[in-house]
Amino acid sequence: MKAARLLLPLVVVLAVYAVLQILFMTEVLNAYWEKIFSLSAFVTICCLGLGIIYGFTGQFSLGHAAFYGIGAYSAALFTKALQVDSALGFLVAILIGGASAGLVGFLIGLPILRLRSDYLGIATLGFGVMVKTGLDNTDGLAGLLGGDLLGGARGMTGIPPLASFTWAFGFLVIAVIVLRNFVYSNLGRACLAIREDEIAADVMGVNTTRYKTIAFVIGCAYAGVAGALYAHFYRFLHPSNFDFLKSVDFLMVVVLGGLGSITGTVIAAVGWTFLLEGLRFVLPSNLLDFRMVIYPLILIAMMLLRPRGLFGGNELGPLKPPIDEPQPKASEARSPGVTA
Amino acid sequence: MSLLKVDNLSRYFGGLAAVSKVSFEVPQGGLHGLIGPNGAGKTTVFNLITGIYQPSSGDIRFDGKSIVGLEPYRVTALGIARTFQNIRLFGGLTVLDNVRTAYNCRVQYNLADAVLRTRRFQAEERQLTEQAREFLSVFGLLDRQYELARSLPYGEQRRLEIARALASQPRLLLLDEPAAGMNPAEVRQLMSLIEFIRTRFSVTILLIEHQMGLVMGVCEHITVVDFGQVLARGTPKEIQDNPAVIEAYLGKSVA
Repeated sequence: MKAARLLLPLVVVLAVYAVLQILFMTEVLNAYWEKIFSLSAFVTICCLGLGIIYGFTGQFSLGHAAFYGIGAYSAALFTKALQVDSALGFLVAILIGGASAGLVGFLIGLPILRLRSDYLGIATLGFGVMVKTGLDNTDGLAGLLGGDLLGGARGMTGIPPLASFTWAFGFLVIAVIVLRNFVYSNLGRACLAIREDEIAADVMGVNTTRYKTIAFVIGCAYAGVAGALYAHFYRFLHPSNFDFLKSVDFLMVVVLGGLGSITGTVIAAVGWTFLLEGLRFVLPSNLLDFRMVIYPLILIAMMLLRPRGLFGGNELGPLKPPIDEPQPKASEARSPGVTA
Repeated sequence: MSLLKVDNLSRYFGGLAAVSKVSFEVPQGGLHGLIGPNGAGKTTVFNLITGIYQPSSGDIRFDGKSIVGLEPYRVTALGIARTFQNIRLFGGLTVLDNVRTAYNCRVQYNLADAVLRTRRFQAEERQLTEQAREFLSVFGLLDRQYELARSLPYGEQRRLEIARALASQPRLLLLDEPAAGMNPAEVRQLMSLIEFIRTRFSVTILLIEHQMGLVMGVCEHITVVDFGQVLARGTPKEIQDNPAVIEAYLGKSVA
């Protein structure tokens, strides 16, 4: 019974992958679309990370793109400096990207996760600005830490082409499974309890500092993994790709998908990427820059029509909460006043 | 011996003495009432016991050991649970998950177990879910296990909050105005519920309440506080006849 329940999603995932691969290979969808599909996977992984931090644990972060950038730059530095050209080397680079973003998240999270709501938002925003400025000025680090490889404000080039749609898709599937299993566990419940009422969570025995830190570190590591994939797909990194506006993009995707919904975040992230690109084809060339007018308008309309996001905390299919445990026999002693 | 001993407890907010040199003891297995007019500092005492606030001076001993300076989750792990005056459920979580959250500090499996869904994870998760369902069934909430806590009617939210507090297996249960907003029939139900959980879970109870009928009906011993200080202590009968208490509640007699 359990195997059957896992089989269907597995078949669907493999089928989606196979169909897309065939379309890419037969060039029904050209290399441009392969890029867009891959980009949507990176964006989704990154947004799932922010979903853990904001959607599930309720910690408002405005600096998520900084961790995306840290993952991208650290992984690219590793592969560029060591001239990595194997899949195994790339896997190590992705883990380095995730680990370095997670580590920075841990160090920055320790002091700032004491802050609540708006104040935490401002602290993370400040951190995002710091990282962007740092990346702009890596020329000052020339000679140490591989600073001369990072390219500063000119951008980082010469990153080996290691990523593909397969990598992007594979990591997206892993990211979704890990997040689902995290959410439906004691750790996930602790995070949700913190989001719902931090004082009550504390009093119910939840070590709030610990779980906020865990959620923040995992979320940042997701961004780092996404950044590492992104770096080796586009092979050019520029600090402006990881600025405050990018953080806002991620935040909007998470809110649009519905806080605390994995399904919603995936759909919103993919939809957002395709919307931005799709508008390129729909709009005449002299109106292309109006994309950034049309897309906020769509956002405003969405928020008016569905204020709790696309999925409003609900899930689809295998992402729904598992509820198949056997029901216990009704207990013999009941509390008074209970007649039901 | 006393399970809880509050000794000369004080807490100042700026120049305001919210709690000033309050002392009382709750014996093992007792049902103790803490009463007083609005703003007397009763809830502050609860917040001090549970570690939400730190005392300015004084000591709180639980089972002989000082718990001053411990973080709230550690106090809970030692065996003190509470409910709140303004119900604080996890509104967006299901009724079942509200109770399961209370097992947090007892869960042994780690992050890797959860992500990989190991045997240890499954066994522990199955066990705590069954325990939670039994709890809900005792409190008549099993039918509502998959509903969001915020969608429950008021009386059931109160009951769920008590169930959630008891699920953390406390030896001392602090109830902060459990009868607030209840009609007389609901208050009578609550009184028998309190008697029931006392015997069934053999838990010591400290109760803050305004409804005198409830306090006088169930409490064995009462401490009255006013303006942050202890005004009187004694049995319900003694408290009812105490002129200082009557004055604090009703004002000075003009006659």
